[in-house]
Amino acid sequence: MLFTEKDARAICDKLLSYVKANDATVAVTSENYSHLRFASNAFTTSGARENVNVFITVWIDKKRGAASTNEINDESLKATVALAEQLARLSPVDREYMPTLAKQTYKPTNAFAEATSNISVTSRAKTINDVITSCEKAKVVGAGFHQARGFATGSATRNGNFLYERSSLVSLATTARTPDGTSSGYFLRNHFDVAKLDTSRVASEAIRKALDSRNPRVLEPGVYPAILEPQAVADLLVSFAFGFDARNAEEGRSAFSAPGGKTKLGEKIFDERINIYSDPWHPELPGSQSAQGGLPAQKIYLVRNGVLENLVYSRFWAKQKGKEPTPGPVNNIMESSQPAVSVEDMIKSMDRGLLLGRFWYIRGVDPRTVLQTGLTRDGIWYIENGKIQYPVQNFRFNQSVIELLAPGNVEMIGKSERVGSSEGQGGNAALLPALKVKKFHFTSQSEAV
Amino acid sequence: MTTSRRDFLKTAGVAAGAISLSTLPDWFSSIVAAEEAAANGVDKNALADVALSTARKLGVTYADIRINRYRNESIATREQQVQNVSRNQSFGFGVRVLYKGTWGFASSRSVTPEDVRRFTQQAVEIARANSVYQRKRISLVPVEKVVTSWKSAFEKDPFEVSIDDKIQFLLSLNEAAMKTAGVSFVNSFMGFVNEQKFYASTDGSRIEQYIIRANPSFNVTAVNRTTGDFQSRSALGGPQGMGYEYIEKHDWKREAQQAGEEAVMKLKAKPVEPGKYDLVLHPSHLWLTIHESVGHPTELDRALWMEANYAGTSFITPDKTGKLQFGSKIVNFVADRTQPTGLATVGYDDEGVPAQSWHLIKDGVFVDWQTTRDLAAMTGKKKSYGCNHGDSWGSISFPRMPNVSLQSGSGNTSMDDLIAGVEKGILIYGDGSYSIDQQRYNFQFGGQVFWEIKNGKRGDMLRDVAYQSRTTDFWNSCDGLGGRTTYELGGSFNDGKGEPGQSNAVSHGCPVARFRGVNILNTARRS
Repeated sequence: MLFTEKDARAICDKLLSYVKANDATVAVTSENYSHLRFASNAFTTSGARENVNVFITVWIDKKRGAASTNEINDESLKATVALAEQLARLSPVDREYMPTLAKQTYKPTNAFAEATSNISVTSRAKTINDVITSCEKAKVVGAGFHQARGFATGSATRNGNFLYERSSLVSLATTARTPDGTSSGYFLRNHFDVAKLDTSRVASEAIRKALDSRNPRVLEPGVYPAILEPQAVADLLVSFAFGFDARNAEEGRSAFSAPGGKTKLGEKIFDERINIYSDPWHPELPGSQSAQGGLPAQKIYLVRNGVLENLVYSRFWAKQKGKEPTPGPVNNIMESSQPAVSVEDMIKSMDRGLLLGRFWYIRGVDPRTVLQTGLTRDGIWYIENGKIQYPVQNFRFNQSVIELLAPGNVEMIGKSERVGSSEGQGGNAALLPALKVKKFHFTSQSEAV
Repeated sequence: MTTSRRDFLKTAGVAAGAISLSTLPDWFSSIVAAEEAAANGVDKNALADVALSTARKLGVTYADIRINRYRNESIATREQQVQNVSRNQSFGFGVRVLYKGTWGFASSRSVTPEDVRRFTQQAVEIARANSVYQRKRISLVPVEKVVTSWKSAFEKDPFEVSIDDKIQFLLSLNEAAMKTAGVSFVNSFMGFVNEQKFYASTDGSRIEQYIIRANPSFNVTAVNRTTGDFQSRSALGGPQGMGYEYIEKHDWKREAQQAGEEAVMKLKAKPVEPGKYDLVLHPSHLWLTIHESVGHPTELDRALWMEANYAGTSFITPDKTGKLQFGSKIVNFVADRTQPTGLATVGYDDEGVPAQSWHLIKDGVFVDWQTTRDLAAMTGKKKSYGCNHGDSWGSISFPRMPNVSLQSGSGNTSMDDLIAGVEKGILIYGDGSYSIDQQRYNFQFGGQVFWEIKNGKRGDMLRDVAYQSRTTDFWNSCDGLGGRTTYELGGSFNDGKGEPGQSNAVSHGCPVARFRGVNILNTARRS
């Protein structure tokens, strides 16, 4: 059972009543989590977890200590507060201490569905049986992961702030492989409302991709024009919106740093149609009401019309620099300023290039250009004269995100869809479009399927 | 047969040189007592009886309960300031059942007889709901019943060392790193984990384990503000299955100072020319290549497509056992859950199987897999190698990697000896960027520090280096191994796998090793 607002407030109040420190922030979270995995067209593991966590951070004469526990009897709560206070007494002064927030006013978001949080294990079993049955009918071998989570959090400060909010998330990922192991397809979608998760689409798309990827041809690595489906964009970019840190940029260690100790704020860094923003109240991707330790979240643009409009200032760094702290980001939305182009029309417009469905094992190589390496996986096709010609063996890529989105490289932008990165197992939701780009850098062949 | 944490400390946990409980300040003792109160206020054996009898009544063929406490401490600093000091603990139980050949699992932080019964019922309900549609019944190979306790071989419990000492250590490390002109930033970190695990199963086993691990690290950055360039150098010493003695025995300050010097040098280092090079790889680098290219493809669950949706499968298929020439004849890999100071070293795995040691690669040939009780049953094996692990009381246990280590060469070959045999090559220290495909063929690795090798001698520092290869090509190109004196243990505190994702701590030992004709990229050049 998730904590109600009353439950959360009672625990926060109790914790604050135990605090003797000058300042404190406390939080209590509760979670319902449930999952089901399948592989080789059979159920594998399935389970559920109920947990709570209590987090306490205190400052005594600006000296900071933090502790947490998942035991919520009075004795444990008192001991955890005492532990945080003892750690604070032993610590040097926190030079970045900022007084906790006084009472704030939040505008609620709608990010919770009860049916997701308390998912029916019998209906989920049937849903996954349907997915496996589809795989069996198509003579492919299915594997996948269904998860559902409800989360409630209450947080409070010694200076009078309190916030309670709930969120939920459900996702289904499916991989379909041909029995000989030479072809594989994948599809993943998530939502906060289980009623809006199209599980049959997930299954049918994974199966289609597996069947369409049979008998791949080997192409030479190199620079190709490419169409990235929303899943591929998510795999590459889903955490990008959280890398616009002002302090890193001003300290000279970010892709947004400029020579001479400056930043690229105000510069046109991306194609002029690209907008990257955060909107807590987006109906398809509702985010948290609070950003950066309790600031009421607001809609903010990081990139507008290709121009770097905002870097993200923490409360501490904002004070140092005489700026306002940034009320976000709390989610990740990329949209075109121009009408969206469908993936089908992108294909029709392409003389020669590759269609990319998914990327895998993406790791940073050079933070100066956000150069990432990784591999294509579960679907890559060669396009010529406006038509998909044949599937292609996978590649490793080394691609700068800054160069990918740069003016002159982006040709077309699709409609933004709710997706999540496959390495993040669908948990890190974002609204991202398909992209057609002039250059994508493949550096070696990958025979993996 | 519950053994309290205090009993552990009395008997062996605080060995020579460590502080005893009697010397601790009153406040600390009272908090330790409060922590223990919850853990030891429950009768784990009685709770296990509730879970296992409830599960049996509901018709399961197997059940286990894990009642675990996890303690974490972390301290983070930058330059001359402390960013975070925190201690966290998590206590709860998880019940795993096998009903009609189908797994079910349920877990809660509420460790009471009523909730143990309720969540056991829930685990069976989940298994029953899924069993209606189950196609392939899961079974387990047997294991001998055991009632015992085990603790990892630490000398000094880090949770008994004062926070002040730890802070001062990190700040002095930062000071050492900042000594070199041109160093702009340093971040340092110290993390410790204590796992107190109880396991009971319908096999009759009851096992308690007490495990300590240490994870110190730092990162030094040099920025050239005029050009907008920046380079960093991270610690070479990785996490270990040790106590605070690891912090005291390793010369961290010297390494931090060296890291500062090398971060500044990297700004002016020579960009590497792409092409084929021989590589001499230090253990601080090679452990990660071993992890990705040897550790993961020899996981049997991957080979059986159990991880196809996420981590992936393996280029090694069961029919290649005993046949695949994985590496050159000098290449021997041993999986070992008994390895001293190993991060994956345990007494027993999370389904009651004792820790073991066995060859994965022998004389270059792939010979065996990492297994659990269900994987062993699927493949007709009679016993499990004990690779089952859950990262929390709230996580269902599943196949995880043991320590996997490359065996040293038989002689006294030194790093200089290996370098002497290279005309055009690169010497690499430290782990950097890493990426490998879902079947573990194609990989790309960076590093921390790169030195040119010319005509048998170490030359100038290089930068922007990454190598890309194919697993079997790479290991078959290995033609030189250092002797035992060059052997070091690296490792990861947080190896991710599974859905939902779970973390595993795992070590990989190796000597210095040489590889011929590996493809090198310049990561700063793009066409």
